[in-house]
Amino acid sequence: MDRFSEYLARDVGVAKALAWSGMALVVSLVITQGFLMGFIPPPSPALSAEELAQIFIDRKIGIRIGTLIQCICYSFWGTWAISIVVCMRRMERGIPVLTYASIANAGGAWVFFLLMPITWAMIAFRPETMDPKFIQIMNDYVWFIFILSWPPFAFFMIFIAVAIFRDHNVPTIYPRWVAFFNLWCAVLISPAALIEFVKTGPFAYDGLISFWFIYIVFFGWIMVMSVCTLRALTRAAERVKAETAGNAGGVLRPAT
Amino acid sequence: MKSLWLSRTTLIWTLLVAATLISWELGHGVGFDDARAAGAAILVVTFIKVRFVVLDFMEIRTAPRWMRALLEAWIVLCASILIGLFLS
Amino acid sequence: MSEEAAAISSAAPSVAPSETRHVPGEGGIWVLIGGDLVLFSVLFIVFLTMRAEQLPLFEQGRAQLNQGWGLVNTLLMLSSSWFVATAIRAARLQLAGVVARCFGAALACGAGFVVVKFFEYGEKISAGLTLTTNDFFMLYFIYTGIHLIHVTIGMGVLTFLVSYSRSGGFTGDKMRNLESGASFWHLVDLLWIVLFALLYLLGGA
Repeated sequence: MDRFSEYLARDVGVAKALAWSGMALVVSLVITQGFLMGFIPPPSPALSAEELAQIFIDRKIGIRIGTLIQCICYSFWGTWAISIVVCMRRMERGIPVLTYASIANAGGAWVFFLLMPITWAMIAFRPETMDPKFIQIMNDYVWFIFILSWPPFAFFMIFIAVAIFRDHNVPTIYPRWVAFFNLWCAVLISPAALIEFVKTGPFAYDGLISFWFIYIVFFGWIMVMSVCTLRALTRAAERVKAETAGNAGGVLRPAT
Repeated sequence: MKSLWLSRTTLIWTLLVAATLISWELGHGVGFDDARAAGAAILVVTFIKVRFVVLDFMEIRTAPRWMRALLEAWIVLCASILIGLFLS
Repeated sequence: MSEEAAAISSAAPSVAPSETRHVPGEGGIWVLIGGDLVLFSVLFIVFLTMRAEQLPLFEQGRAQLNQGWGLVNTLLMLSSSWFVATAIRAARLQLAGVVARCFGAALACGAGFVVVKFFEYGEKISAGLTLTTNDFFMLYFIYTGIHLIHVTIGMGVLTFLVSYSRSGGFTGDKMRNLESGASFWHLVDLLWIVLFALLYLLGGA
């Protein structure tokens, strides 16, 4: 193995760690939001301000610990997204437009992830003395940030799909069904826009479609993409090995 | 050229249009006195239409057997659940 | 497997041999179609569940819909699907001109569908019936809206297919791409068939 391939093998190792971080994000979500905070599903948007304030008073310790963990684990959004972007870079020839667009997108979307636990932590900071009306507004704010911020995530899905369709590698880095899967997810999370209009029913922010369906699709998407990325990286590493054995070298070098 | 238009596909289209008009009539109180029976009939006709679209337009009739089985199972399951919910 | 299958198919010639059976389009498009069927199955079930809870309101809502528009749209959808299915058959006969014209006709039907929906929405909104009026109109606008997004995407695909099919040479990957696009359009048709029955036709119970 020459020196370049040795470096590449290590880079693939780091990229795999980043792909795994997506899994960690989903697990932390279930543990913190589900068990520690009891916000799966969210408190109903139809609750009165006083009822909602009581929830935050009762659960404040769980919420504080939960948001602490979330601040760490939700940062994994950025690391996880980059594991996909490095694979995308290998699909693009010429100007890597989709790669740049995805980096910008993933970096921006990361803000929304962190704003959620930070806002929750603020509500749980002094819920007894805070006006319940404020608590209600801030709690709505968290869910709106969580659900109404769907477009950059949908764009990222579309970028991934387009990059796979345009992939010049043989065989393609991701299998082509991954592209269709991403398009489907992009269409599916779009009903999130409807939480603006309704406070009860399947399209409210605690509803069957706007919460359960979109949550399962979105976090299922993270898990599926983690697995696909890990496989793609393993294949890339194998190709490096095979090609350096044949003294061809540099399969991970950006194509020119 | 003639065989292109005088085909099974065209026959299926005619059937689908006929089925649409039938379910339209059923939706306007023709045929059944009982709205529940009419509604169930409408759903049955609807899923027969769905099956023709899947088998003939989507060409699932000549797709691998597991694929056809899966889609047929979805049609039956979805139709049964919807009819059950409608009548309950 | 292949030897065994060949032996079976030669023993029973009435069954299509396995090599003539093929997945329409590429495998990936069926991930999308299957996924959409799951989403819409949930939507259909939600509709009938909510309908059972508020029957008088849903009945009144249905009576306020213009059923003529619904019927016209169903006929447009069925016809466009027919044009698309015919286009695929014409492609197998290598009739490039016919294929492009069939896709064009399907596209025109799709455009007709959108125009009808535009007037229908306008009629409802000017009558004061909107997303927030009641649960029936919430579901009506959301479901037909999600479907309309599918129609729009499908029309994009059809537009591409019109120019893509002009050059002919329908073999291999090109045939597969035509089938992928066609399968998606048939899905759009299929979903509308069920939506039409649920929203416009189902009466009283």
